[in-house]
Amino acid sequence: MNDGASKEELGKLLFFDPILSRDSTISCASCHKPEYAFADNSATSHGVGGIQGRRNTPSTMNVALQKIFFWDGRAKSLEEQALAPIENPDEMNLPIDTALKRLKRSGSYSAYFKRIFNREPTGTDLAGALAAFERTLETSESPFDQWKFYKDPRAVSDAVKRGFIVFNKKGKCIQCHFGANFALDEFRNIGLFNGKNLNDSGRAGVSRSPKDAGKFKIAPLRNVAVTAPYMHNGMFRTLKDVIEFYNDPGKIVPGAINRDSLLTKPLGLTQQEKNDLESFLISLTDKTFLFNNK
Amino acid sequence: MLKIKNVKETFGVAAFITLLAFVPKYKIIGRWETKPSPKGNITGVVFNKDNTYEGYVNKKPFVSGTYRLRGNTITIEEASCNGVKAVYKLIFFSHSDSLRFDPISDSCVERKEGMKRTILGRVK
Repeated sequence: MNDGASKEELGKLLFFDPILSRDSTISCASCHKPEYAFADNSATSHGVGGIQGRRNTPSTMNVALQKIFFWDGRAKSLEEQALAPIENPDEMNLPIDTALKRLKRSGSYSAYFKRIFNREPTGTDLAGALAAFERTLETSESPFDQWKFYKDPRAVSDAVKRGFIVFNKKGKCIQCHFGANFALDEFRNIGLFNGKNLNDSGRAGVSRSPKDAGKFKIAPLRNVAVTAPYMHNGMFRTLKDVIEFYNDPGKIVPGAINRDSLLTKPLGLTQQEKNDLESFLISLTDKTFLFNNK
Repeated sequence: MLKIKNVKETFGVAAFITLLAFVPKYKIIGRWETKPSPKGNITGVVFNKDNTYEGYVNKKPFVSGTYRLRGNTITIEEASCNGVKAVYKLIFFSHSDSLRFDPISDSCVERKEGMKRTILGRVK
């Protein structure tokens, strides 16, 4: 039972409570759905009043080690990130001051904040509680972890082991998807920006640097098999689609501007290698999702 | 007799060289971890007998590679850092239960910075 006794528990209550949206219809969890590794299963999510968002909802799992947030990296901390969707007109559309008034009026929330922070709800504490909850959403019990950390070679299939080699070598995935959550804290242009039908300039909207046009945050890969669809705009429905894209980006999205030099030439993966790579990516799924029904 | 003595000496020298070559390997094999960082993160590495290693943060594997030992010098190679090999001097201390790495050559700046900061303790 969650009685809001700790910062994390309070954050969890708030995360699932529609009190933080203008019309009290959606919560953080409306888009960050637990059954999809706290991501959404649609290309872009809907905010209050059914407003369609612009970008794919990223997972809020495995964020504790991350240093940049949002596809364009406009937040440098989880606390900074936590408040933005509440105020965003396309999402929850509620000014923070209004949110705080609601929380103060709510007897239980007011009491929780006083107990934990020794004061009435503030923006800082609201962000701190939400961020604290999100930091609890770490996963490290995937078949891959069983294989590599717990040294159980039977935890994964031969296809996964071959796929890991493709990931590290021929697929060049490791060059960007490196780290405990399989992502560098960097921005890359993978070739989904052509200034026409694909005109989200990504990082450039924050940095104001033309060099950053089309760059987006490298997405972490833990639990990636349950966070479809993929990319900043959710344009790829399956992992197979993603692998086909990376295998020959110019064929799938011609005319991309400033695609990263790592992706200049087709990878030339065989069908077997593509299948193995997919198997490896699926092996990054935590046991929570392997055994729970959606 | 002389011949036998020479053979013995040869084997003796060979055994000594072998011992020299293997002592560091058996010193390094196993699991090593940092103390928790201010944010509570623990980084670790497992050096395996088959000259492979796995690095991890908070039980999350993040790097796999191969290593080669020569005396107290370790050469590592991993897919990250564009597969660039790196050479470090192993510094054992606290009765060989702690370990740090002094860079000899590593053109991968991020890795070099990380390695320079890393102090590992043997997990028993």
